[in-house]
Amino acid sequence: MKIGLTINGQNQAFEATPGESLLDVLRRNGYIDVKKGCGTGDCGACAVLFNGRAVNSCLILAAKANGAEVLTVAGLAPAGELHPIQQAFLDEGAVQCGYCTPGMVISAYDLLSRNNDPTDEEIQEAIAGNLCRCTGYVKQVDAIRKAGAIMRGEANE
Amino acid sequence: MALEHVKAVIRPSGLDQAWEEKQKLGRQARFLGGGVDLAVFAPSSIEALIDLRDLGLSTIAFDEGEMIIGATATMAEIMESPEAGRCGGGLLVDVLRQVASPLQRNIATFGGTLGSAHPWSDVIPALLVLDARIGVFDGAARVVSTEEYLAGRRERMAPLVTSVRIPSEPALGASFITFGRSAFDVGILNCACAVAQEEDRLKRVRIAVGGTPALARRLKRTEQAIEGSSLDSIPFTEIDPTVADEIDVRDDRRASAAYRRTLACVAVRRGIQKAVERMNGGRT
Repeated sequence: MKIGLTINGQNQAFEATPGESLLDVLRRNGYIDVKKGCGTGDCGACAVLFNGRAVNSCLILAAKANGAEVLTVAGLAPAGELHPIQQAFLDEGAVQCGYCTPGMVISAYDLLSRNNDPTDEEIQEAIAGNLCRCTGYVKQVDAIRKAGAIMRGEANE
Repeated sequence: MALEHVKAVIRPSGLDQAWEEKQKLGRQARFLGGGVDLAVFAPSSIEALIDLRDLGLSTIAFDEGEMIIGATATMAEIMESPEAGRCGGGLLVDVLRQVASPLQRNIATFGGTLGSAHPWSDVIPALLVLDARIGVFDGAARVVSTEEYLAGRRERMAPLVTSVRIPSEPALGASFITFGRSAFDVGILNCACAVAQEEDRLKRVRIAVGGTPALARRLKRTEQAIEGSSLDSIPFTEIDPTVADEIDVRDDRRASAAYRRTLACVAVRRGIQKAVERMNGGRT
């Protein structure tokens, strides 16, 4: 089947089989900023914004994705200028091997879009579905807290 | 890829058409709402998906003392709805916060939960103790109790779930406990409890235990044993044998039946205590 998607603001049409995952469709068509980890919704590496909410793209069937609006981590910096969340991840050293980072940034974006002044508990809850096997989460929480402050205009990048 | 044989996606415009397609295609077709369960657990024999997106099943409303949750509303939407926190002593939000991760709750639905009815479901025990009713369609629209729905789906082709209806009951005290090895792991056992109060006595006691590894069901003899107890002297020691006798436990790779039987007594005790505390305004 042919599925239509708006990806990072661009209308796209791809050939897909109805039962394959949005993750596989995206990566096959060059969106390799979306990482493939477990494939069963456990690790969060494949997170994208799907119709405005962060989801595991490995759990979205192509049939369901048809007509959806998708934002990947690359879509947060369309002209190459990093989003405050991406910059904060760099500044706070929240990236080690980097494999979890796209998904983690997308989850943070979903949270901060709705609540740019979250408590640490709310930050931890928001990234509960994103597994990082390197850094231990402290630096990511620091980065998301800092990004929130930047987005509120209370801190500089 | 589990669903490699899917060739057709049908987008019905009404419930009648959705049900007709399902009857025509039988086990080779599955309804597609959130799709989480299909993506992970569906058998590879499935050849068609019946996409429910055009059926208007994603609304959340409050009507005549009931919260009416459309079958394709996501768990995140349910948690964020203003009605959910007030409903059933706040149990719904408590349970959903413990279901999988935020990423999954942005996709998963009650329709999928009830359609698959996995024994480890954390939502189903909560629906049982909240006296939730299930809106279904199998050629005609009906509303049945959660118990009736669960019993019926084992006997014949499961109806299409259209809604979940939860009575408001703001005075209810309710609790949910799950025992697992990690936050995301399927629980070794889960337990939902709900109680109400008349003067200083407990009434409307509901206890449901699941993941044993059998599908959740109510412990009705235990409920009766607690019903009418004074709030400050619930006879837990006397009730333990009833729980142990009534519960349907088996061995599996997660835990032994004996361990689950012991755990169930602990879960019921803690669950009822927590529900009573919450009914009286205390949070644990």
